Amino acid sequence: MTSTTAYVLYLVSALGAASLYFLLPRAGPSKMAIGAALGVSAFVGLFGILGTQDSVERSDEIFFHLFGIAAILAAARVITHPKPVYSAIYFVVVVIAVAALLVLQNAEFLAVALVLIYAGAILVTYLFVIMLAQQPGSPIYDRRSREPFLAVVVGFILMALIAGRAGELPTRAAEKTVLADGERIPASTASLLPSNTMAIGAAVTTQYVVALELAGVLLLVSMVGAIALSRKRITSDVVRSPRRALGQIGKEVDPF
Amino acid sequence: MFVESLKLCGLVILLAPLAGAVLAGAFGPVLRGRAHWPAILGVGTALIAAIYVLIQVAHAPLGAAAVSIPIYDWIADGAGSLFKVEFLIDPLTAVMLVIVTGISLLVVVYSRDYMREHGHPQQGYERFFAFLALFVFAMCALVLCGNFLLLYLGWEAVGLCSYLLIGFYYGRPAAAAAAKKAFLVNRVGDFGFGLGILLIYLNFQTLDYRSVFEIVERGFVLVREEPISPALMTTIALLLLCGACGKSAQLPLHVWLPDAMEGPSPVSALIHAATMVTAGVYMVARCGAIFSASETAMTTVAVIGALTALFAATIALVQTDMKRILAYSTISQLGYMFLALGVYAADSAIFHLFTHAFFKALLFLGAGSVMHAMGGVIDVRHFGGLRRALPWTYATFVIGSLALAGFPMFSGFFSKDEIIHHALAAHPLLGGMALLTAALTAFYTFRMVFLAFHGSPRVPVGVHPHESGGWMLAPLCLLSIGALAAGYVGVEATGRAFHRFLLPVFASTFASAHPIHAAAHETFWTNYGLMVVSGGLSIAAICVAYVFYVRQPWIPGLLKASARGVYQLLWGKYHVDELYDLSVVRPARQTGRICVGIDDYFVDGLLWVVTAVPRGIAYLLRTMQSGLLQGYALSMVAGVVLLLLLAL
Amino acid sequence: MPSAMGYVIVGAVLFALGLIGFLVRRNLIVIFLSTEVMFQGIVLNAAAFARFHHHLEGQAYALFLLVIAAVEAGLALGLVMLLYRRKDTLDADAWSFMRG
Repeated sequence: MTSTTAYVLYLVSALGAASLYFLLPRAGPSKMAIGAALGVSAFVGLFGILGTQDSVERSDEIFFHLFGIAAILAAARVITHPKPVYSAIYFVVVVIAVAALLVLQNAEFLAVALVLIYAGAILVTYLFVIMLAQQPGSPIYDRRSREPFLAVVVGFILMALIAGRAGELPTRAAEKTVLADGERIPASTASLLPSNTMAIGAAVTTQYVVALELAGVLLLVSMVGAIALSRKRITSDVVRSPRRALGQIGKEVDPF
Repeated sequence: MFVESLKLCGLVILLAPLAGAVLAGAFGPVLRGRAHWPAILGVGTALIAAIYVLIQVAHAPLGAAAVSIPIYDWIADGAGSLFKVEFLIDPLTAVMLVIVTGISLLVVVYSRDYMREHGHPQQGYERFFAFLALFVFAMCALVLCGNFLLLYLGWEAVGLCSYLLIGFYYGRPAAAAAAKKAFLVNRVGDFGFGLGILLIYLNFQTLDYRSVFEIVERGFVLVREEPISPALMTTIALLLLCGACGKSAQLPLHVWLPDAMEGPSPVSALIHAATMVTAGVYMVARCGAIFSASETAMTTVAVIGALTALFAATIALVQTDMKRILAYSTISQLGYMFLALGVYAADSAIFHLFTHAFFKALLFLGAGSVMHAMGGVIDVRHFGGLRRALPWTYATFVIGSLALAGFPMFSGFFSKDEIIHHALAAHPLLGGMALLTAALTAFYTFRMVFLAFHGSPRVPVGVHPHESGGWMLAPLCLLSIGALAAGYVGVEATGRAFHRFLLPVFASTFASAHPIHAAAHETFWTNYGLMVVSGGLSIAAICVAYVFYVRQPWIPGLLKASARGVYQLLWGKYHVDELYDLSVVRPARQTGRICVGIDDYFVDGLLWVVTAVPRGIAYLLRTMQSGLLQGYALSMVAGVVLLLLLAL
Repeated sequence: MPSAMGYVIVGAVLFALGLIGFLVRRNLIVIFLSTEVMFQGIVLNAAAFARFHHHLEGQAYALFLLVIAAVEAGLALGLVMLLYRRKDTLDADAWSFMRG
């Protein structure tokens, strides 16, 4: 990746940051329009770059663009929507988009597992909790963000760093057809095993069997923990304290 | 064998009262009402050992009377200076030890009843006996020790015990103030004393008695190959005298003794009559070599002694607090002792110390008995006619008063007479002052007796005087025997046993410059004339007091009205306290206030500036501690990003 | 030959978005939801590298990561319920006792 591309990537990141800053929940009139405009331009820039670069397989390109845009858009909506239920729903979209991207990478088992576990189990739990703990109307904590500027800046610097580095990744190694002893099972397994699922199963039960057992134990422990937590009797100790405006914390005490 | 037995006795004398003090103090809450037993046993053991020492010293071969007994090496700096813990036992030590332990034992026995109210021990009963035994230890250490360093140690220790005991009723502001005053005034004296000891060390390179006195008598310092200048000796002697004036309440450091009467009466009897205040006299007698090497110093001692005696006697004429009268009388008698020392009659001084211990302790204990009977009232104006209510106390008190007044054939008569004799021989003015003081002494003593015990009762309503118990009366009786008979050890009839006993101590120092012995036995008038005069004076003074206070009680009132100015001067104790307050106390307080101001504003201000830096930093940093999870997470992520930026 | 760049960039974008969501939102549930978004990005990244290196280690890693995510979600939601019961609110600001 040339340096000009790198700088364009940084510019895209800046645009994305600005768009997100305006999209986040804020006081005052909604600036979603500006945010949306900036966001669109950021998208165009990002996927334009990716299109020019030789970033993905030719055959996957169109699907990659489609699902990539979907995932990023939905993720942006997850974090910027004022209502938690909508955040959860958009999160489902993120999950499905990522699953599709995984399928594009010949990781079908992982994709289906993702959809099953996330959209099926975790999201349902989230929705239950949202329903149980929801407060009527739109409470203040959903309508305000904390330090949006700093957070956005920091996040996008991080992203720009990683993305900039990502451009320097070497190209993919050639496929191996003959395996030596003890070598790992290749991903594109047309030669050896019929499907990705079987390959994963074989790998997990032979090479990563210890991790498998530990994962089982971890799940058990978490179940026990969740049950223990849910049995705890908690009484509310809410004292209606005066509301503090944003940005006032820490400036109330006179040091001298 | 002789030395070994003396060493053992010395150690017993020191350690038994100390053990008694420690036991009484440590097991006080357990012992409660029986806390006097450790003290009695400790002091009693010390008394037995002291008597043994006396006998041993008396039977010692001539020439070996002074024994220096090292106990252990205390400070050795390897460069030649060595301070040992050592005893010096000679006749003077033996006499002082017997006096101290004997009177102490009687006082401890007396206190057993005195420190009780209706049979129940007072608050702090056990503390009292612990302090008393501690005092006996300190005083014995002072007397027994063989070098100046230990002398200073014992000096300070008795001062400390005096402070503790004067301020025994520490809840009373007057007692606390009196204790503080005693300690501070003693401090002034001790400062001079310390300087004197330092000078001795600097010039003679040693501090133990034997070596120092040897050097002084030789007049030559071997180490430096130079003779000792007279100015140096005078300076040292005068500085040592400072300490003696402080401890023995002579002019101008006498102001603490009358106030020290705030302590319980046994304390006044023991410390401020018989033992501690005589430490100054003992010290001057011990350092006779130093003092007699300087004419100026001796004259100063004599003049201070005579002046103090007269001064205190005049003040005592108008006092109304019985213990204060006795306090001033103590100051006056101590003045007598100093006068004797100053006119090279040290053995007479010690003789007077000996008799004075008996009758003054008797008087103080008697006053305590009266106070105990009257429920704490001590103003003579509120007494009267007590001889019927307190017969035993009255009898012993009269015996003590007769001894104090120098009534013929009582102990005080003999000792005081000797001093007046020597004083007259030295200088007529000194002798005249001594005689006048004797007359005044007799007068005010019996003024006190007549006001308190004779006449019609002026007792306040609700007070019913009753005689004291056996524990208090027994010491009174024993002391009155002493007051009667103690003088007889120093008279011609017994061959002046007391003085001959002390002769080896003073032979080379005081007596050598003493011109009296040569012209001793001449005519009746020279020998006994003075006795007749002083005896007659005292009888006359007693009669005058009788007339004034029993027969014609309107006379004192008339005198007081006609000599208003003089009366006010005497009543105000010559305003010495006020003078000290203005010249010393107030400037000191003002300096203290200035220092407090500096501390509050300047030092604290500096501190404020210095601490403003962390405070400012903390203020800035505190805003980061918002308590919010996401704030911290933001900081973490920012840190990660920073690291990545630096690394990549 | 193409690299894994595209997928890695998309994964990075997802991760960054999830991180920002975690730092910005005040609703406890949305905070945890954002962490799940971060997980998505990581899973994508792992799978891309698996394909790139021609072996299944990345996919196995992603699988176990899924297990962890599930565990974490379960316990986190349990805790959120308890916290909600204590303070009657889902506001993260309610838990700022340690402010100095």
